[in-house]
Amino acid sequence: MKKKIGVYICHCGGNIADYVDVERVREAIKDEEGVALAKTTMFACADSNQKEMVEDIKSQGLNGVVVASCSPKLHLLTFRAVTERAGLNKYNYVHANIREQVSWAHSDNKAGATEKAIRIVRSAIAKANCAGSLEPIEVKSTKAVAVIGAGVAGMRAAIELAEAGAEVFLIEREFFVGGRVAQWDNLCVSDETGKDLVTRLYDRVMSHKHVTLFTGAEVVENSGSVGNFNLKVKVTPRYIRLQCKKGELQKAIDVCPVEVPDEFNFNITTRKAIYHNYPSEYPQLPAIDMKNCTRCGECEKVCSNIDFSQKTEYLNLKVGSILLATGFDPYEPKKGEFGYGEIDNVVTLPQFKRIVHYSGDKLTYKGKTIKHIAYIYCVGSRQVDGENKYCSRYCCTSNIYTAIGVKKKFRDVYNYHFNRGIRTYGKQEVLYDESSRLGDIYLQSFEHEPPLVEQKDGKTVVSINDILTTDKKLEVEADLVVLVTGMVPRQDNSIGNLLKIPKGRDKFFNEIHMKLRPVETVIDGITIAGASQGPKNIKESINSALAAATKSFSLVDAGKLALEPTIVKVDEALCEWCGKCDEACPYSAFDKKEVDGKIVARVNETICKGCGMCLPVCPVNALNLVGSTDKEIENMIDALLPTV
Amino acid sequence: MADGKVNDSPKILVFSTEKISDPAIDMAGLLKLHYPPTVYTIAVPCSSAIKPVWILHALERGFDGVFIAADGTDCPYGESCTTKTGQLVSQTQEQMKAKGIDPARLKMAAICSVCSEPFVKHVKSFTEYLKKLSN
Amino acid sequence: MPESIKTLEYDVLVIGGGIAGGESALNLADIGYKVLLVERDLTIGGKMILLSKVFPTLDCAACITTPKVSEIARHPNITIFTGAETEKVTKLGEHRFEAVIRQKPRYVNVSDCTGCQLCEEACPVSVSDQYQYGMVGRKAVYIPFSIASPRAAAIDIENCTLCGACERVCPTQCIDFTQTEERFLVKVKSVVVATGFELFDPLKIPRYGFGQYKNVITSMQMERQLAPTRPYNTILRPGDGKMPDNIAYVLCTGSRDKTVGNPICSQVCCMYSIKQAQLLMGALPMADITIYYLHIRAFGKGFNEFYAQAQDMGVEFVKGKVGKITEKENGNLILRYEDIEAGQVKEAEHDMVVLSVGVLPNRGISETFENQKLELDPFNFINQTDILASPAKTSIEGVFVAGTASGPMDIPDSILSGGAASAETTSYLRRAVS
Repeated sequence: MKKKIGVYICHCGGNIADYVDVERVREAIKDEEGVALAKTTMFACADSNQKEMVEDIKSQGLNGVVVASCSPKLHLLTFRAVTERAGLNKYNYVHANIREQVSWAHSDNKAGATEKAIRIVRSAIAKANCAGSLEPIEVKSTKAVAVIGAGVAGMRAAIELAEAGAEVFLIEREFFVGGRVAQWDNLCVSDETGKDLVTRLYDRVMSHKHVTLFTGAEVVENSGSVGNFNLKVKVTPRYIRLQCKKGELQKAIDVCPVEVPDEFNFNITTRKAIYHNYPSEYPQLPAIDMKNCTRCGECEKVCSNIDFSQKTEYLNLKVGSILLATGFDPYEPKKGEFGYGEIDNVVTLPQFKRIVHYSGDKLTYKGKTIKHIAYIYCVGSRQVDGENKYCSRYCCTSNIYTAIGVKKKFRDVYNYHFNRGIRTYGKQEVLYDESSRLGDIYLQSFEHEPPLVEQKDGKTVVSINDILTTDKKLEVEADLVVLVTGMVPRQDNSIGNLLKIPKGRDKFFNEIHMKLRPVETVIDGITIAGASQGPKNIKESINSALAAATKSFSLVDAGKLALEPTIVKVDEALCEWCGKCDEACPYSAFDKKEVDGKIVARVNETICKGCGMCLPVCPVNALNLVGSTDKEIENMIDALLPTV
Repeated sequence: MADGKVNDSPKILVFSTEKISDPAIDMAGLLKLHYPPTVYTIAVPCSSAIKPVWILHALERGFDGVFIAADGTDCPYGESCTTKTGQLVSQTQEQMKAKGIDPARLKMAAICSVCSEPFVKHVKSFTEYLKKLSN
Repeated sequence: MPESIKTLEYDVLVIGGGIAGGESALNLADIGYKVLLVERDLTIGGKMILLSKVFPTLDCAACITTPKVSEIARHPNITIFTGAETEKVTKLGEHRFEAVIRQKPRYVNVSDCTGCQLCEEACPVSVSDQYQYGMVGRKAVYIPFSIASPRAAAIDIENCTLCGACERVCPTQCIDFTQTEERFLVKVKSVVVATGFELFDPLKIPRYGFGQYKNVITSMQMERQLAPTRPYNTILRPGDGKMPDNIAYVLCTGSRDKTVGNPICSQVCCMYSIKQAQLLMGALPMADITIYYLHIRAFGKGFNEFYAQAQDMGVEFVKGKVGKITEKENGNLILRYEDIEAGQVKEAEHDMVVLSVGVLPNRGISETFENQKLELDPFNFINQTDILASPAKTSIEGVFVAGTASGPMDIPDSILSGGAASAETTSYLRRAVS
């Protein structure tokens, strides 16, 4: 079809016209190939001119439009919308920037600016001559979301998604929900216990008909892309029937002869092979840990609902979006790090919380009463020599909060905080203040001189060169040393590897953009929430979970998605599959297909983002980016050259 | 430049990137940081999407120099951009040598979204360099 | 004056058009809800749109904010009132709220204004520019700043002499002195409060000499000097226009300080000061930068690494509280401070001092709620009544809080909080249907 292009050259008040002779520009381009109409206008973006453009497009049957005005960042979308209002496909619109890149940049040289403006408008016309209508790539989207991880972030996201109207599959690897928060007692700042918070969320999850919870479940395969992910989920059985009664179960636990370290209590206690983490934990049904079960059959004798015939099941789920809330691991100190694993009264903060939980009237550890507690901060975080350069954010507050609780609950406890600059940011500052008022002692070490934990005459002594008392060497004899350990990414990153989620410098899952798209990943359709993205406290985790739920929901809500059509196309006649494009693509958008007995590259339209990284690597030049094809770019270059 | 004589000034084609370097070039205008009007910009999504054939086409048709205003580490499409842009530049320079084109007529620098001043410095010195080259 | 009040209906009223309110509005509009966004200022984008580059990635705040702002402005489901105040909000029942919005006259027809700035040139009145935090002047008719949205002129009627010069030069005749205040009765089903924060006013700490010594400025003034829409195009000390080469930052100005009534930490000052220090090292390569701090709170993703980077670049960090600032005749400043590491009181001379002012609650919004109480926390931020499970919930069912209205937070946290508020609003609205 012959092109009929309308060209509008904007004065922008004086912003353009003061430096560019717009009338001369109009004269110079009005007879270019394809130009049916050329006008100048005081303000192209003004309502009146927009209306005139719509009129022109309709009455003159224009099928191409160029506006030469300010930067496309300001008004490309405005004028695309104008063409759409006139019934013309918006990709027939081409923008020429003659303000930021001409009149303003060359306000010292009017002749030069005018000449450049003419060339730029010609170049835009050349592009408009190649441009054509494009339709967005439409894909159907399944109105279901897989939430991976049933800690507080995952459960909260699941509730929100279900309430908004999506089908939710909540997939938890462990046999019990609640993640790390279930391991904690009182929570800062509401004083609610971890167990209560988990119960509250679990009740809402279970009461919602659109949430299906899988425990002992892991995603093992993934295919598809945004709108249509196919997940294969492996569900390990509990080997106990649902209808089992509580009393019988307790007997079964009692008779089990196998004792293994209890990871829920960070190995400070043991549990049986048939177990739950704490009484009335959710789901309220124990599980048999087959890695440690000896199949002795003792439990079967006292409980009729033990069922070793249960089989591992595989489920196929179809979802439109995936929300990852896989949480964190507490840092595990190396053997000998501040005496850990060598001196027996050195424990981590998570262990300490469990010790406090199990202590009655007196705070005791390994049978000994504890009076003097030394807390060593930033263990595993802000490492001067190690890999973890980041701050774990929650530990200062969490530890001070725990220490205050200990001080209030047990008389005669003395807290010594060996810190590196307390980071109780925001309102949490009041806890630091309270702890100081309660008489806690704060000592601060130099960056390169961490405190030293040693055994002297059977006693555990912590020493420090203290910044706060002008570099005095101070010593504290401690009954218990608590290593305030930070957060590290999950050691088991199988889900991240499976879904190809990029990691940041700190090895946590990485967002696309911390401010613009903080819960989205470069894999379209996969969002991240909670501490899987980086250390966070509970409130912050829930905020990110809700934000991620919103994004995931927006992808599945309409039942379809419109994707940008400006993606890469393969010239199948030229392509001789060599795989270089596949190597260059950051999104794995390429695969192979056979056409007339020849293997050629195929672009997955729903994955390609149109970045063009594959273009230069093709040895036979078989790839072109829609909107920036060889023809378009070369015509634009050619139009920039002739004299004016 | 102020005398309005532009015809003898070397023509430079700049490949900018829509999200990163083009905003910086826009801002150079906003701040009225002047540079020769013989510098023309074509924006592409990412600097590692520039085909060597485009560069060669520009140089063979009459541009004196090509400047790639690269995304650098700010590329929204991934960290590999810096390496890939580097590769395409050296690949193109090889092809330029083969065709008897001085490889110094292709230049690249990372231009972040607010690197207006560095951009202007680069194109000014490139212009001066190309002038010497033609003399 | 007899007044007629127009009635409007939307699904959600979002109070505050900063980044948190904007994020909430955008999310809600994307899933089909009709949103009214009410902004007190003449432009949306809040404080973020005025910033330079933002920590810890050093991407330009304007580059991030402008696309968001134009997306909000263009969205078919969002109606924006700028220069408008929320007078009162009444809850009539679940999913039934009524608000009265007062739209102050701008004296310019925004839809006709092309932002050509000819009126600014013509206007004879110069006053201090609040968007440049008083460092330069503006006219009585003015566009707030180049990336404001709407990018339209407004007349500051208090300073206008009604000379009519602007009317005469305006090419689109968009200036209209006959505009009067309008009031609207707005019926909505839910409310999001995203009223943001205020900066601490350092006049309350006279011993720092702000307002008295010209070369003592606030961090927001420095932020403007570093921003792309900056007033001077370089860094200058206001006293004599000299380029500073020895700059001090005083952290915790108005934060963690019970004597000024604000015991809490503002959560952002450490990081923005470190960021400004890094930008200054780039802009003034010869300058020395010293940061006087109590504790560096570099807690977020990438923050501690950013702090380490500043140390590597040569920014000096001194652990100590600044007690008093005095001025020398040449405009330089003497800081008297406690050097904690040395255990003694010392003095140091700098040619410019930046007070890293803290974050305070934006007062007044809770009083606009009429028949139910919008509770505040002990620090006068909006109380989050179920902070762990539903951080956006407030004491009024159906009213949600987003961003710094509930306490100090940085940009990423504000955006997440805006996302959380929109999520909670959505499920509240869905409950109305079922």
